[in-house]
Amino acid sequence: MTDRQENLLLVLPGLLLLAVAFFVPIAQMLVLAFQGPEGPTLDHFRRFLGDEFYLGVLWRTVKLSTLITFWCLIIGFPLAYIMARVGPRARLWLVVMVILPLMTSVVIRTFGWMVVLSRSGLIPSTLRDFGLVGRSFSLMHTEAAIVIGMVQVLLPFMALSILGVMLRIDPRLEEAARTMGCGFLQAVRTVVFPLAVPGIVAGSLLVFTLSASSFITPNLLGGPRVQVLAASIYRQVTQTLDWNFAAAQAVILFAGVLLVLIPYIRLARRADG
Amino acid sequence: MTPIKTLSLSAAATLMASAAFGQTLTINSFGGAYEEAHRKCIITPFEEATGANVQVVTAYSADGFAQLRAQRDAPQFDVIHFSGGQEIVAAAEGLLSPIDPASLSNVDGLVEAARPNLEGGEGPSYSIVALGLLYNAEVLDGPANWTDLTNPEWFENLVLTDMSNTYGMQGFLMLNQALGGSLDDIQPGLDAVAEMLDGGAIVVSTSPEIMQEFAQNDAWVAPYSSDYAFVLQDAGLPIGFNQAAEGTPGVYITANLVAGRPNQELALQLIDRSISPEAQVCFAEEMGYAPTNVNAELTGETAENTPFGAEALAGLVRFDPQVIEERRSEWVDAWNRTIAR
Repeated sequence: MTDRQENLLLVLPGLLLLAVAFFVPIAQMLVLAFQGPEGPTLDHFRRFLGDEFYLGVLWRTVKLSTLITFWCLIIGFPLAYIMARVGPRARLWLVVMVILPLMTSVVIRTFGWMVVLSRSGLIPSTLRDFGLVGRSFSLMHTEAAIVIGMVQVLLPFMALSILGVMLRIDPRLEEAARTMGCGFLQAVRTVVFPLAVPGIVAGSLLVFTLSASSFITPNLLGGPRVQVLAASIYRQVTQTLDWNFAAAQAVILFAGVLLVLIPYIRLARRADG
Repeated sequence: MTPIKTLSLSAAATLMASAAFGQTLTINSFGGAYEEAHRKCIITPFEEATGANVQVVTAYSADGFAQLRAQRDAPQFDVIHFSGGQEIVAAAEGLLSPIDPASLSNVDGLVEAARPNLEGGEGPSYSIVALGLLYNAEVLDGPANWTDLTNPEWFENLVLTDMSNTYGMQGFLMLNQALGGSLDDIQPGLDAVAEMLDGGAIVVSTSPEIMQEFAQNDAWVAPYSSDYAFVLQDAGLPIGFNQAAEGTPGVYITANLVAGRPNQELALQLIDRSISPEAQVCFAEEMGYAPTNVNAELTGETAENTPFGAEALAGLVRFDPQVIEERRSEWVDAWNRTIAR
């Protein structure tokens, strides 16, 4: 057996899994999306794009995903920086702390937020006690609830992506910048941040795509009134049984995410090179 | 007798008692308190009696029906339970198997309304739920009409249920009817819902959420079902349940035999157990369901809390399931637009 054959053999199970579990369903989805009662059609897309309601759902999905990515970055970057700069023992503990939430199901973590954010939950009742909000104030079933819940769920992806890159940055570069007269923030901005861009890009991509397509947390925290695209697709599939329209929405989500990815990757490449 | 002998004898007895030993049935249930009662009254006794293993998938009727349709060529459920009248459409589409009444030992006790079309594939109903107005008895005297829900003073403490839930759908249709709408025109209902939401009402999707709203979040009133009123009362909460003056929608929970499955005989035994007097008495005690088997004798408090008898059943409103399935997609779309922020 040649090396080539061996490699092929090794890669085969993975390829098969991809083909069966990814490409076949995607192909099926594409077919469904363009299928009409009388041959191929663009009607499902026209219906989506010609309807303010669905455009609103799309806009909310993009807006929330962007916000979630932004907050993950704001929290994740300093966290990763600290993790990269402390000793190995402390780093281990920090990494464990970041990863620990991933060990429980997303449903359970989201349920925790439901308890904290509901009308009689910790946050609304505290705000009410201070007289800051009305009697029926609740954070549940709002866009803010989705952002809060998703940031917690997705933060590990951002922090760990940045950490991986950050660990490879030579600390002496930063020290050099400091001895040349940079303040701490200036050193971070001009030395650490640019060098960490690949990690930031990878983390942001992960977070953005995961939040654009996530379903459980937005559904539980947003409730039936605050719909995102994934929830809308789910509704079409399970309730109105309009699979063609659901497939069209899925294609739009897919295309939308791709559209965001391409310039982002280009940008990253330029920053990299 | 040596322990080994005893063991082997009892093992043999168990094996002989149940040819079904080791077989698996897949069914759906509705989660929450309902699923607990379902397991206690039907599923666990069934497993013990037959040695079969029952796998429960939590799926509401609309979800379950969607799955059944999607699995047309390779169905995964053996018995599917519906509450929204989906069995009528599923039977018409050939997704359910006809049931020979002779194969169910408890069929004779069933009231007529619980077995409209067994031969056509529509499974028997094993419990009936009345929809009305749940209210916090410490705050309210108890609303008497569906139209009382349009009282703006209650909006901030009003809980509505999403249309994806059978109780939500049926409750909405009843409200719509009370406000002058019909199955041809749900606009009066939608307009009222829009006003309620503007005033601070909230929408939830599942029964446990309704319970949570009453238990923790200061809900006063919700159009919902007698069974969950019963569960909340059972938990010690001051919850009242009124059948409203304009009418009480009845929700018929049915057990249906899925077509194209290998274990139909065993599945029929499960359905038979669902309509047995013992299971129905148990269900009435756990959740206050009205039995559909006249041989199910309720005693004491349970009897007082449960609407029962042909006269009570005859008074229940039933919206045409065929029309609901035909228009579901259109309604859900309109509902989503109405409730979307």
